[in-house]
Amino acid sequence: MTAATPVVRRPRTSPGVVVRQVVLAILGVIWLVPVYLLLANASKRPEVFGEYSVWQPGDLGGLLSNMADAWGRGRLSLGTLSTALYAIASPALAVLVGAAAGFSIVALRLRRGFFWFVLIFTSTVFPLQMILMPLFIGYASTGLYNTRTGMILVYTVISVPFSAFVMRNFFSGIAHHVFEAAVVDGASPWRIFWRIYLPMSGPALVAIFILQATFIWNDLLLGLTLSQSETVRPVIAALSALQSTYGGSAMSTVLAGGLLVSLPTVVLFLATQRAFTRGLSLGQF
Amino acid sequence: MTAPTARHAELLPRQRSRNTYWLSSAGFVAPAVLLAAVVLYLPFLYTTYISFTEYNGLGDPEWVGLENYVDMFTDPGLVNSLVNTLYWVAGTLILPVGLGLMIAVLSHGLPNATLFRLPFLIPYAISGVAVGVIWSFILQTNGALSQVVGFFGVDAPRWLLDSPLNTFVMIVASTWQGAGVNALLFGIGLQSIPKEPLEAARVDGASGFTLFRTMTWPMLTPLTTVVVGLSIVGSLKTFDIVWGMTKGGPGGASETLALTMFKETFQSNQYGLGAAVAVFLTVVTVAASIIYLRRQLAPGRSA
Repeated sequence: MTAATPVVRRPRTSPGVVVRQVVLAILGVIWLVPVYLLLANASKRPEVFGEYSVWQPGDLGGLLSNMADAWGRGRLSLGTLSTALYAIASPALAVLVGAAAGFSIVALRLRRGFFWFVLIFTSTVFPLQMILMPLFIGYASTGLYNTRTGMILVYTVISVPFSAFVMRNFFSGIAHHVFEAAVVDGASPWRIFWRIYLPMSGPALVAIFILQATFIWNDLLLGLTLSQSETVRPVIAALSALQSTYGGSAMSTVLAGGLLVSLPTVVLFLATQRAFTRGLSLGQF
Repeated sequence: MTAPTARHAELLPRQRSRNTYWLSSAGFVAPAVLLAAVVLYLPFLYTTYISFTEYNGLGDPEWVGLENYVDMFTDPGLVNSLVNTLYWVAGTLILPVGLGLMIAVLSHGLPNATLFRLPFLIPYAISGVAVGVIWSFILQTNGALSQVVGFFGVDAPRWLLDSPLNTFVMIVASTWQGAGVNALLFGIGLQSIPKEPLEAARVDGASGFTLFRTMTWPMLTPLTTVVVGLSIVGSLKTFDIVWGMTKGGPGGASETLALTMFKETFQSNQYGLGAAVAVFLTVVTVAASIIYLRRQLAPGRSA
């Protein structure tokens, strides 16, 4: 395909292709300007920050020392470790719970399966604002407020509907004969789920995991509402606090903190772009 | 159910499995249903109830009927949040969706299309607060954008202090973050369009914008519906970027409904009013979701 198409198209579409490339390149450069400004100013040492133009870059040493500052004095370190725990444990649990629901509806042909599916899925439609206050009250009265268990629980539940949605769609693509054949061989539903259906759905599970991990890492609202201490509070809420405290005096530290907090999700996204795209398309179509 | 007798034998295993596995099927679906019921639906009902009461978190809620809802549409601060939220919805449909479509169409079929789309995708993985940190810096007094504007001989406005300008520049920041993912989604849609009708139209002499308007755009409609629906729903919930840039200020001038709900509830302890804002937001969101949910849950796709 790649060999054949250019030969046919080149004479006719070449000027159009060049124009499109130029327009995209200009737009792309504009899009990268904020990234440049972030890097340039996160790498200036605070004591000389005011002496430079915002367009001049600092140096790598400055970047590292500012990052260290945000990590230590800016108190991002504890939050980062907790957030990593949330962003790994919750999507892993949600993927299993969602897959189990999908398995029940598709393979075990749960009675009124579509009703239960809509019940699980519809809960993602309403805004988080609708549950924040009761969760705050409920967490406060059960001792879950400001605990890692509480954060893992809420992030898991938030991720379940999307996971159930994708897994139901994915399992629908597996022929029911697979299930019937396993039954004939004497396998129990439990065994069929763990040994046949889950191993077959690796790509879908990975896609859900990556999307939900990114979402959880970037969450602000639940973190602000359900946690308080530096050890439990997710890192984005910590960044927001850092911005309020240091915003005026040490801009380079705040910017370095923003960069530090963004690196994991950007790297994850760039490294797994195909799985990410697959997750998006599994979710929309 | 009405299958002819000849096929009856075929249906038997299916009928049997329905009876045999009712216990396991209930067991497998139970965790998801229970979690959703306790952590999502129960709070949902409680918020709805509280929205008809006056409650400050202590003592007992006091029933006040529709008072909170009346306040919401008469209090100038709340009306301002409502208007800002409408700016966000309209702005999001024009900028991130429009630009996303443009990027997708321009890059579709180009050699190195992935490379050309990359700059737009990087900001998507960044959190709203970090986007806010970056853009607050760009928009600060005598900051980068003011210098660019000054270079062209224009006096820079106070980007984040004057309303509604502050809402508009925050929509621009959110466009920087969100256009890429829309481009990605439109790209997926463009790839799924069959090649033959487009080739036929090209042979008939259609090209450029005409080709796009008469052929590509109509075939892209199902996907556009989803992107538009998701964008409306997303913009109604706008919180992180505003929290990261102005915290709704100055003096509530750039608040969105999502921010008002949070502030009324957790800063002013007006649980009832906060709940009413949440309920209103939910009604509008659900109405907007129907646009794309109808497609996502279409019967053809059921198990």
